[in-house]
Amino acid sequence: MLVPMTKVHVIGHRRRLESMLEALHGSAAIHLIDVTEDASVMLPPMSADDDQLRTIEELRYLKARLDGLLSLCSAQLPEPTRPVDLAAIRAQVDEVAPRIEELARRTRELEAELETLPRHVRSLERLLPLLPELTELEGYDTDAVILDARHAGALGELNAALDDTLAGNFEIISGQVDTDTVGAVLVTPKTAKAAIQSLLGRQQVNRVRLPHRFESVPFREAISMMERRLVEIPIELTGLREQIDDEIRRRPEWSAASRELEDRLEQLTALRHLGATPHTFVLSGWVPTPRLVELGRLVETEGAGEVIVEVAPLGEGERPPVLMSNKPLARPFEPLVSLLSSPQYGSLDPTTLMMIFLPLFFGMMLGDIVYGLVLLAAALFVRHRTRASSPRVAEISKVFVLAAIWTVIWGVIFGELLGDLGHRVFGLEPIWINREEALEPLLVFAVAVGAAHITLGLVLGVWMARREHDRKQLGTAVGTLLALVGLMAIVGVVVDRLPSGFMTPAIAIVVVGTVLLIAMEGPIGLLTGPLELMGLVGNVLSYLRIAAIGIASVYLARVANELGALGPIWLGVIIAGLFHSLNLVLGVFSPTIQALRLHYVEFFGKFYQGDGTPFQPFGSLERKE
Amino acid sequence: MEVGLLGIGAGLAIGLAALATGYAQARIGSAGIGALAEKPELTGRVILLLALPETLVILGFAVAAMIILLLGG
Repeated sequence: MLVPMTKVHVIGHRRRLESMLEALHGSAAIHLIDVTEDASVMLPPMSADDDQLRTIEELRYLKARLDGLLSLCSAQLPEPTRPVDLAAIRAQVDEVAPRIEELARRTRELEAELETLPRHVRSLERLLPLLPELTELEGYDTDAVILDARHAGALGELNAALDDTLAGNFEIISGQVDTDTVGAVLVTPKTAKAAIQSLLGRQQVNRVRLPHRFESVPFREAISMMERRLVEIPIELTGLREQIDDEIRRRPEWSAASRELEDRLEQLTALRHLGATPHTFVLSGWVPTPRLVELGRLVETEGAGEVIVEVAPLGEGERPPVLMSNKPLARPFEPLVSLLSSPQYGSLDPTTLMMIFLPLFFGMMLGDIVYGLVLLAAALFVRHRTRASSPRVAEISKVFVLAAIWTVIWGVIFGELLGDLGHRVFGLEPIWINREEALEPLLVFAVAVGAAHITLGLVLGVWMARREHDRKQLGTAVGTLLALVGLMAIVGVVVDRLPSGFMTPAIAIVVVGTVLLIAMEGPIGLLTGPLELMGLVGNVLSYLRIAAIGIASVYLARVANELGALGPIWLGVIIAGLFHSLNLVLGVFSPTIQALRLHYVEFFGKFYQGDGTPFQPFGSLERKE
Repeated sequence: MEVGLLGIGAGLAIGLAALATGYAQARIGSAGIGALAEKPELTGRVILLLALPETLVILGFAVAAMIILLLGG
């Protein structure tokens, strides 16, 4: 359900502003409205003075530095301790930051070296076969170049250019280093270094540039030095990272300070949403109605008689923000509803319906006892492991707990235990439909589920339209509902499930529904009405995916079992295990997406009103928890 | 009718529909990822748009099933 909201104005003396903001921030009970958007507040927005602007800048700078330092810590940050003294933290950061930043700079250098050295080793190794012909010559430099074999002609040009510059006082040794690359080693006088550099820069060749410390070392020696470095660097890196972690972990107050700064900044930036005169301030916002009394008490205590809270009139076209509040079992489905968009205030919150149908559809698709049990164990394990560290993941895992339970139940109904293995080994028989053989009943079942689900959606649409006195919406929803009921009756007669006498009334209901659909849209309804009807049929048929995904899952499981039965038993178990694992991964991913889609597109399309603004309290609830 | 021909017909019904779905999803997917890079809050809408063309392959599946069930006896 959606929590009712009340619009309030908090009005008070400006000397109480700072303490009031802090108290409101701590309570996280109010969603601020910008006074410029609130027609009922006739005051100009508060403008920050120079001192406040300076403070904001200083706090932002300190927070950026702190967050930068904290992000360097590769270990888990220590639990923050409050309260913190920001002045002391600033002094501490000024003192310690240069040391940590120097360590971080060296870390980055070493990481870059670790990245580039293997490339140099590879280049030099490719050139090594050319080297036996070289002798170390005093007063001469050795340069290496590599080029694409297709452009080997460039070497001739290089030779000619060198000849022009050095009058024959040089040597080029070249050769194929692999199928695509030609390498060359140039031996040139040290005195002509600058000329050679500029010459190589102009030519179409790729010079092998070694890091500075290896430049004057013979190639063979350079390779072994680089290989030694490649062993040393990870050790040095570990040492550096430990030093950084140690520096940061010794200061648990830093993470607390970062949060404190965030709170302070939020309070200071909230000022521009307020209205003010030289002596008073007005803060406008939405409060969840059940928390109104709590807010009143808070204002009374913190305002010391100089601040009041009053319920404000709702402006025209104003839409309160949306806060969903469901029973613990349905709560994990709230983010799934919001993933599409938050419901509009005053509309229906479909979270509970999603809790009922999403796991049910998931189970219908996967439907296997063992898959369900494995998924249940995995979901419970994830929930147990993430309960403290990541409550959001723990919440979402509850969705999969429900889905897994339904998977086991449908597994029993379909008589599936690792596909047909249950039947082969234990003689397990389906209670209702054997998905491997009885295709027709499965398809009929899927379509029937679709028809029922969409009918429910349409009934909710009718209810919503009635509640909002929206005649057009009501007519469309009733028309669609009549058309769907009529179509189902026609299908029932065609497949001999209903007596033939139902045909005429069924056709009449479809006609009435279609006419209603057309009438609601006006002349354009002649086009959109029949299209709507076709879309409705498509919506119902879309539920065939429940059968289709289910059959695919059954056959993949069967393939796993049959492949497993081919070889010796130990090999069979491994192969079947691998295939079943693959099937389970696909079997979790695909039904989740498909069940979500059936809700978002087919079901929600009939009644859901999205585009609501989520309730974002001043002082986020999540951080307070 | 020959069972083999029915099989080919059913295969074509679902195969061509799957190709069409794949083509549509490829275009929507690339556009959707582009949109998500700028507006991550559109995730739900993008999943929705990406899932829309799947109706095509489901209809292909329905036709294939009808070919097998109704014509194949």
